[in-house]
Amino acid sequence: MSSLKELQDLIQEKYGLDPAALDPHASMRDKGFDSLALVEFVFAVEDHFKISMPDQDTNIDTLAELAAVVDRILAAQAAPAQAK
Amino acid sequence: MSAVQVAVTGLGVVSPHGDDAGAMFDALMRGESAVQPVFPELPRPTAAALAPFDASRWFTKLQLAGVDRVSQFAVAAAELAVQDAGALGDADPERIGVYAGCGMGGAAALEAAYRSANARVPPLTIPAFMPNAAAAQVAMRRQAQGPVLTYSVACASSGVAIAEAAKAVQRGEVDIAIAGGSEALVVPGVVLAWQAMQTLAAFAPGEAARAVRPFASDRNGFALGEGAAFVVLESAERARSRGARAYAQLAGWGIGCDATHLTKPDAPGQARALRAALRTAGLAPRDVAYCNAHGTATRIGDVVERSALAQVWGEAALDDLQVSSTKALHGHLLGAAGALEAVITVLALHRQQLPPNANGTDIDPECRLNLVPAQGAAAPRLEAAISNSFAFGGTNSVLLFRRA
Repeated sequence: MSSLKELQDLIQEKYGLDPAALDPHASMRDKGFDSLALVEFVFAVEDHFKISMPDQDTNIDTLAELAAVVDRILAAQAAPAQAK
Repeated sequence: MSAVQVAVTGLGVVSPHGDDAGAMFDALMRGESAVQPVFPELPRPTAAALAPFDASRWFTKLQLAGVDRVSQFAVAAAELAVQDAGALGDADPERIGVYAGCGMGGAAALEAAYRSANARVPPLTIPAFMPNAAAAQVAMRRQAQGPVLTYSVACASSGVAIAEAAKAVQRGEVDIAIAGGSEALVVPGVVLAWQAMQTLAAFAPGEAARAVRPFASDRNGFALGEGAAFVVLESAERARSRGARAYAQLAGWGIGCDATHLTKPDAPGQARALRAALRTAGLAPRDVAYCNAHGTATRIGDVVERSALAQVWGEAALDDLQVSSTKALHGHLLGAAGALEAVITVLALHRQQLPPNANGTDIDPECRLNLVPAQGAAAPRLEAAISNSFAFGGTNSVLLFRRA
């Protein structure tokens, strides 16, 4: 399941931005997420999902891209548990 | 060629008495204290003067990423000062400077980092904490592309910042200077550190509002305050040509260092700064009829300040100088104190009214001064006034304002 909806909810809760105001495929920077705001948001995302985001993904530009990275990490964390 | 006159054309505050400079002055005239108990969980009772502040008036939640309270105050106070100046006309961004005092930087960000859950330190702690963040935030908000400088000189920070800004205007380095300071360090860790220094006023339950008693026999220290204050400075000629109102002229400044002790005040050092301010302004002591004192209500500080004033004014003429320390009512804003008290001094000149030296019912004979009484005073002939700021580290700053 995609984390997109949870990310949209987190943005609404943290910044008061309605999901409709932020197209998942549009640049987050154009909506006011400069590099510092994005760093802070990624920190909140890590707290929320209890994950650790890899540093090389700091060039994420859209919410859909962010959701894809979160999904990949969540899937990787779940995989070993299923293999038991 | 005569020196360029520097005009004060805008005032902005985020103060313990609110963010309307005129209403703040009215509250001071009424003797209203903003000092109140804080942090009941701490082992010793503590009082401080907190600034009522709604960040959402100035920032979206997204814009607040990495912006400490100290920078939020600065942006708001600087914006209010610029609005009060009636915008900046056609000022070239490269000729707008920001001169900001700040003693500590983003104390709340640092405290939050120490206390962070699971040792997860927020990633923007450093840019939020760095002491020049406040000036940078003001510059971004106002597109000030000239000198954007931070002066960290403890309690003299923003007095020094305003003096340096006036010099830059006078030298023609900038057309507009947004000058002042901000401080926001009323957090438990910092309060404990100040308590350990034995400088904060003790008080009986229910007596917090009267805890700070400058020049009084029973004085026992200050209360921390938080907030920001900025002024807009420009040449009097520029102000006239754009039809701006000038509240006052910043006519003199004196900056020097005791060079004797890190924390102990020194009367000769303070006297040198007072004389330098008079010299810059081309005035004699008798020309100055009001002093907004540093007056921190410490045992030693008030006596030394009185002694410095006596050295410069002389015992006889000292009776003609009316003095008040408004810290009794708004607390000690440390790096923002000089700027807030400069705004109060400018308004005293502009309105010809002197705010009281509150809580001083029983004056220490060693601090004998012509203190402004509890109800304040009218000063219909006030032509010039000074504001003192004396810092740990020994740096002394005196600003001298004249009627515009």
